[in-house]
Amino acid sequence: MAKIGVFICHCGENIASKVDCTKLAAAIGEHPGVAVSVEYKYFCSEPGQESVKKAIRDNNLTGVIIAACSPRMHEATFRKVCAEAGLNPYLCEIANIREQCSWVHNDNDMATEKAMDITRSMIEKVKRNNKLQPIEVPVTRRALVIGGGVAGIQAALDIANAGQEVVLVEREPSLGGHMAQLSETFPTLDCSQCILTPRMVEVAQHPKIRLLTYAEVEHVDGFIGNFKVKIRMKSRYVNRDVCTGCGDCMVKCPVKKISSEFDCGLGKRTAIYTPFAQSVPNIPVIDKASCIYFKNGKCKTCMKSCQINAINFDMQDEFIDLDIGAIVVATGFQIQNTAGYGEYGYGKYPDVITGLQFERLATASGPTSGKILRPSDGKEPETVVFIQCAGSRDPSKGVRYCSKICCMYTAKHAMLYAHKVHHGKSHVFYMDIRAAGKGYDEFTRRTIEEDDASYVRGRVSKVWLENGKLMVRGVDTLLGRPVTIPADMVVLATAMVPQPNAKEFAKTIGIAYDEYGYYNEAHLKLRPVESSSAGVFLAGACQSPKDIPDSIAQASASASKVLALFSKETLEREPVVASTNEATCAGCWGCVLACPYNAIEQKDILDRSGRIIKRVASVNPGLCQGCGTCVTFCRSNSIDLAGFTEKQIFAEVMAL
Amino acid sequence: MITQEKYRSKAKKLLADGSVKMVIGYSPGSTADRRRPLFVRSFEEADQLVLDSNCIANLSGYLVTEGLLSDEKRVAIFLRPEGIRSLNILAAESQLNVDQIIIFGFDSIGREVSSLSGEHAGEFSELISSIKENPPEKSSEPLLYQIEQMNPQERFAFWKEEFSRCIKCYACRQSCPMCYCRRCIVDSNQPQWVNTSSHTLGNFEWNIVRAFHLAGRCVGCGNCDRSCPVNIPLRLINARMAAEVLESFDHFAGMSTTQEPVLASFKKEDSETFIL
Ligand SMILES: Cc1cc2nc3c(=O)[nH]c(=O)nc-3n(C[C@H](O)[C@H](O)[C@H](O)COP(=O)(O)OP(=O)(O)OC[C@H]3O[C@@H](n4cnc5c(N)ncnc54)[C@H](O)[C@@H]3O)c2cc1C
Ligand code: SF4
Ligand code: SF4
Ligand code: SF4
Ligand code: SF4
Repeated sequence: MAKIGVFICHCGENIASKVDCTKLAAAIGEHPGVAVSVEYKYFCSEPGQESVKKAIRDNNLTGVIIAACSPRMHEATFRKVCAEAGLNPYLCEIANIREQCSWVHNDNDMATEKAMDITRSMIEKVKRNNKLQPIEVPVTRRALVIGGGVAGIQAALDIANAGQEVVLVEREPSLGGHMAQLSETFPTLDCSQCILTPRMVEVAQHPKIRLLTYAEVEHVDGFIGNFKVKIRMKSRYVNRDVCTGCGDCMVKCPVKKISSEFDCGLGKRTAIYTPFAQSVPNIPVIDKASCIYFKNGKCKTCMKSCQINAINFDMQDEFIDLDIGAIVVATGFQIQNTAGYGEYGYGKYPDVITGLQFERLATASGPTSGKILRPSDGKEPETVVFIQCAGSRDPSKGVRYCSKICCMYTAKHAMLYAHKVHHGKSHVFYMDIRAAGKGYDEFTRRTIEEDDASYVRGRVSKVWLENGKLMVRGVDTLLGRPVTIPADMVVLATAMVPQPNAKEFAKTIGIAYDEYGYYNEAHLKLRPVESSSAGVFLAGACQSPKDIPDSIAQASASASKVLALFSKETLEREPVVASTNEATCAGCWGCVLACPYNAIEQKDILDRSGRIIKRVASVNPGLCQGCGTCVTFCRSNSIDLAGFTEKQIFAEVMAL
Repeated sequence: MITQEKYRSKAKKLLADGSVKMVIGYSPGSTADRRRPLFVRSFEEADQLVLDSNCIANLSGYLVTEGLLSDEKRVAIFLRPEGIRSLNILAAESQLNVDQIIIFGFDSIGREVSSLSGEHAGEFSELISSIKENPPEKSSEPLLYQIEQMNPQERFAFWKEEFSRCIKCYACRQSCPMCYCRRCIVDSNQPQWVNTSSHTLGNFEWNIVRAFHLAGRCVGCGNCDRSCPVNIPLRLINARMAAEVLESFDHFAGMSTTQEPVLASFKKEDSETFIL
C-alpha cells in the first residue's frame, strides 16, 4: 500500500499568493494513497525539513512529494532529508508549483487547480518510483586545464598547490593569453607583465604541473572522473628538451618582416620566433608558412646558428594520450574583427587602432617601448578619440551584449595617455559608463576629473581623413547636437567575442554554448562554474566577457570544484541511467548512434556453446548521463531510464 | 516474358550450383491479376516463378524472417527499385548482411517488365539517386494533392473518417519490411502507450505512431496500403513524412547500405546548440 506524504510549501509569498495552499492540501489529502498532506511556510528551512523527517518516520511513508520550487533548487536538499529519515532518496519527487505555476499565472483559482494537477501527477509518479542506489565510479586524480591565459594559469596553480596533478595545454607557443599583451591593468594600474610573468614561470617550474604549449586537445572521451584525452603536440621544429632559449636562431633568421601577432601587427618578428621576450617556455617555434626552408628547401640558417643542434626540420606532430579526472576549460576570448565597421575607417586609416593595439603601444616592452606613437608616421598624437561600444551593444552589426571591460580599459587608456603625453587631449564617446566593480567607478571618475578626458555621450557615425586629421563625427546626445573632433589617433573599444573555433571546440569536449559561442554554465546563478557536462568546469572569458579579477575568481572557484572532486577515490553518480530490454531490442543500433555520450555498446547474446544468438544494445552505466535521447529514439520501447521509466511517465501523464 | 525467362534460368543456375539456398519471387495468385510470394528452394520449383507487371509486392521483408539468413548462406530475391531501397535500409539498420543477398532487380512501365542491371545492393546507387532527383509527378497521386490543399480541420476530418474504419488487424505492420521489431510498440503493455481498441483515439494513436516510426524509412512500396482490408490510403501518410524528411534533412530513404537513420544522426554542423 502506498503511503505518500505531500508537503506543500508556501515559499513565503511566492507560492501562497497565487495558490490556495490550504485548499490544495485538503484536496490532495483525498487523493488515493496519500497519507499526509500538509502545508508550511518554508519547508526548506530547518524546522520545515525536520517536520518532513518526522512525518516520514511517524507514518512509515513510502514516498514523498515536495510541492514547491523547481527541482533544480531543492531536489538534492529534500532527497537528503528523506535519506536521513531512512527513506530511499529516490522515493522523493518535487512537484514544481512555483516556476511552473504560481510565478506564471494571475488567476488564483486556476493556479490552484493547476497546482492540484501538477501535484497529483507527481503522486502517481512517485507511487511507481524504485529505490535506486547511487553508482560509484573511480576518479583519476589528474586535472586537465585547457588554455594558458590568466584564468588557466590560476586554475592550474590552485590545483597543483593543493597537491594534485595538472596538465596545462596551451595552443600558442607561450603561456600568457591576452593578459601578457596588456600594458597596465585597471583599476590599480599594475604592470601586467610584472604580475603575470612570475606566475607563468611558477607554472613552468611546478613539480605537479605538466605544461604542454603549442599543443591542442584533439579528442575527449569518457566521463567525469574518467576522461580519455588525446593531445596533439604541434611540431615546433625545435627540440623542447635541449633548447636553452639563447635566441641565436632568431637573430640569424633572414625573414624579419613578418607582422607580429602578439604586437597586433604593430611590430615585426622572424620566422623562427617566440611571441614575446618573456615567453614561457622560452623555446622558439618555426612558423612553417613563413620559413624559407619550408618554402623552397634552402636556408636552414637557424639550424647552423644553433650551438646545440636543437633544430630539426623533420619533426612531426606527436600525440599524447592522457587519463584525466576533471577538465577546466579556460580558452578565453578574441576581439571582434572591426572590418565590418567601415564608418570607423579601421583598416583604411593606419591611425585608427583597436584597444588591444593601444595596449601594445602603451607597454614598456612593446614595439614603441611604451611611447604612444602613431602607426602611420611615428609621431605623438596630440588628440586621441576613444570610441566605446565599437561593436558591443549593437544588435544590427556587432554583438548584442555588453563586453563589460571596455568602459574600464578605455578609461585606463585615456589615463595612460594623459600620463604619457602631458599636453595631449582625449575625448571618449560612450553610451553609458558601466563601472560596477570594486574601485571601478572611482577609477573612471579619476580619468574624467584628474586626467581631463572629455567624455561625450553619444555614438560616432563617421571617421574620415581631412588635411592629415582624422575627423570624428558623432553626436553629443546630452547637448543634443552633432560634434566633429579632429584627431590624430582613434582607438576603438572593440567587442570581446568568443574564440572563432569556440563552437567547434565545445563539441570536441562535449559542452553546451550560447548563440555567440560562449560556454554555458550549468545554472546561471547556482552553478556558475560548472559546464553542462559533469566534471568539466569553466574559467575566464570563454564563458562570458570578463576582466582579470573575475577571470581569476572563477578560475579559483573551478579549481575548488576540481579539488572537491579529487577529495575522494570514488565518486557517486546519480543512478538515472538507461538500460535496454535484451529480449525486445531489435539491434537496429539507432540508439548507439543517437546517444550523445557514446554510452551504448553492442552486446552479443551467446548460447551455451558460445555461438552468437543475437546482438543487442547495452548501456554502459558509467558513461550514461541519463539524457533520455535513446529512449525517445527506440521504436520498440526497448530502452528505459531509471527514475523516469515509461511506467512513471505514463502514470504522470494519465493523472492529468 | 523475356525478363521472366532470364531470371528463371538465373534462378535455376544459382540453385543448381548451390550459390543460393533460396530464391524469393512471385507465383500466380488467387485471381488472374494477383501474385503470391514464392519461396523456391530447388531447381525444379524455379519454373513456377512468374514475373509480370502484377508483381508489385515488396518481398524484402521476408529476408528478415527469424533465422532465414543466420546460416550465412545466400538468398536471391526479386525486387523493384523500392524493394532495393528497403533492402538498403534493412542493411543499414543491421538487420541483414547484404553480401548474402542476390538481387533480381526489375521494374515495369505499363505491362512491360524490364530487368535492372546489377545484382548486389551497391550496384543500384545511380538508379536510386536518379529516383531521388526525379520524383513522380504530383498528378500521379491526385488524392495526396487534394489532401495537401485542405486546411488542418478538413485534413483532420478526412483522416478521422479514414481511421475510423481501422480494425487494428495490424496487416499494415505485418506487410511492412520496416516493421521488423521483435515487439511492436502496440504490443508493449507496460505501459500501454497505444490503445489497442478500435476507437477514434486508439486508431489515431496507432496510425500516427506507425507513421512516425516510418519517417525517413518508408520507401513507398505500398505494401501497407494494399494489405489494409478496409482500404485506408496509408501510403499517403508515409509519403507525406518522406517528403518532410527530404525537405528538412535532404534524406531520401534507402540510398545506401550505410545510410544513417535520419532521426538518430546528428551532425556537428547542425545549427541547434544542444547538439554537443
Ligand atoms: C584591450 C583590452 C584591455 C584589457 N585591459 C584589462 C585591464 O586593464 N584589467 C583587467 O582586469 N582586464 C583587462 N582586460 C581583460 C583581460 O584581458 C581578460 O580578462 C583576460 O585576459 C581573460 O583571461 P582568460 O585566461 O580567460 O583568456 P585569454 O587571456 O584569452 O587566454 C586564453 C588562452 O587560452 C588559449 N587557448 C584558446 N583556445 C585554446 C585551445 N583550444 N586549446 C588550448 N589553448 C587554447 C589561448 O591561446 C590563450 O592563451 C583587457 C582586455 C582587452 C581586450
Ligand atoms: S533503438 Fe531500440 S531496438 Fe534499436 S538497438 Fe536500440 S534498443 Fe535495440
Ligand atoms: S540516456 Fe540513452 S542516449 Fe542518454 S546518455 Fe544514457 S544511453 Fe546515451
Ligand atoms: S491494416 Fe488497416 S485496418 Fe489493419 S491495422 Fe493497419 S490501418 Fe488498421
Ligand atoms: S509500428 Fe513501429 S514499433 Fe511497430 S513494428 Fe512498426 S516500426 Fe516497430
